[in-house]
Amino acid sequence: MCNVQGKLVAWLDGELPANEAAEVAQHIERCEECRGRVAAYKQVTETFTAYCDAVTQSKMQPRVPRWVPVLAAAIVFAGVLLLVFPRMRITPPPVLTPAIAVAYVPAALPAATAPDTAPRKTVHKRHVAARTVQKEAVKWQPTESAVQIAIPADAMFAPGAVPKGMNFIAELSIAPDGSVKQVRLRQ
Amino acid sequence: MFYRQRRDAEAQVTHDSVPLALPLLPIAAGTSEVTTLYRELRKPLLRYLVCLGLTSDEAQDVVQDAFLNLQRHLTSHGAQENIRGWLFRVAHNQARNRQTSYHRRFGEPLGGELDFLSDEATPEQRLLEKEKFRRLANGIRALTESERECLLLRAGGLRYREIGDVVGLPTSTVGDTVERAIRKLAEKCNV
Repeated sequence: MCNVQGKLVAWLDGELPANEAAEVAQHIERCEECRGRVAAYKQVTETFTAYCDAVTQSKMQPRVPRWVPVLAAAIVFAGVLLLVFPRMRITPPPVLTPAIAVAYVPAALPAATAPDTAPRKTVHKRHVAARTVQKEAVKWQPTESAVQIAIPADAMFAPGAVPKGMNFIAELSIAPDGSVKQVRLRQ
Repeated sequence: MFYRQRRDAEAQVTHDSVPLALPLLPIAAGTSEVTTLYRELRKPLLRYLVCLGLTSDEAQDVVQDAFLNLQRHLTSHGAQENIRGWLFRVAHNQARNRQTSYHRRFGEPLGGELDFLSDEATPEQRLLEKEKFRRLANGIRALTESERECLLLRAGGLRYREIGDVVGLPTSTVGDTVERAIRKLAEKCNV
């Protein structure tokens, strides 16, 4: 081990007195090992300085929060999606035309318990009437709601007052506020 | 480059840095000297403080406070011997006062990933540089606090005597500490 080994960095830094510096310089000329050490110390010093500069520059740079690029990318992606798939936009639901309800007399009513011998023709007629109403409903413009109720005559009049098997259809016009505007009774 | 900087320490005046605090000071004796010192030492001081572990804002605050103290010191005809060492000592003490928490004081001020590397470098160069810095950072972690501070002050262009004034060590001890630290880093970095 060279006796100047502990003075190499001080020699590099110019911190040695003149006589010691000259002694070290002479030794380095002769000793290859010390020359290698001096070169290594120089390189470490340079790297350390560069590292400090890099750390300083890294910390002094104005930093953008990490969520900013993520948010920007998400916004761009959403924009691209909207441009590529415009049909996927949410559309308001279509305005539905009010359906005409066809109400039947509940089964508990006496009319529902009408004799089984009730003419089939009447039932058929009732269906036909309902189908007609449905067909008309397609053409009908929705200004106000209407309800048709098929009522057996026995449920409205005293037994024997009207011929058996006679039915009535009550057409109710419903005003926009929900009240019954008009009632029309037809056979 | 480092040694050239040390040799030309007197001529190392950076003109790109505009004094921030000095215009607020009253014109007084020593102002031009303070301005010169500010231009010369602002960057080394900032680098030293940031490498000690202060944030960018804290480091700038400390630098401004240090120069305000210097202005008062010179105005009150304080000692002008080793004024660079004086300035670094003031900044060093202020930095240490700010670092009250155990973690921040004894943590790894120079550790962590570097996200800044030269933009002009090629990807290969950047990779090599990153690897070199990674090995150096490992070496720095193995240093004692005193060794780290001595190296940082030396990188700031201070002489051993000035470093001794800042950290409160004799000049010969500073020489030994710097020698030991450099040797450790050379071993760790496989240079």
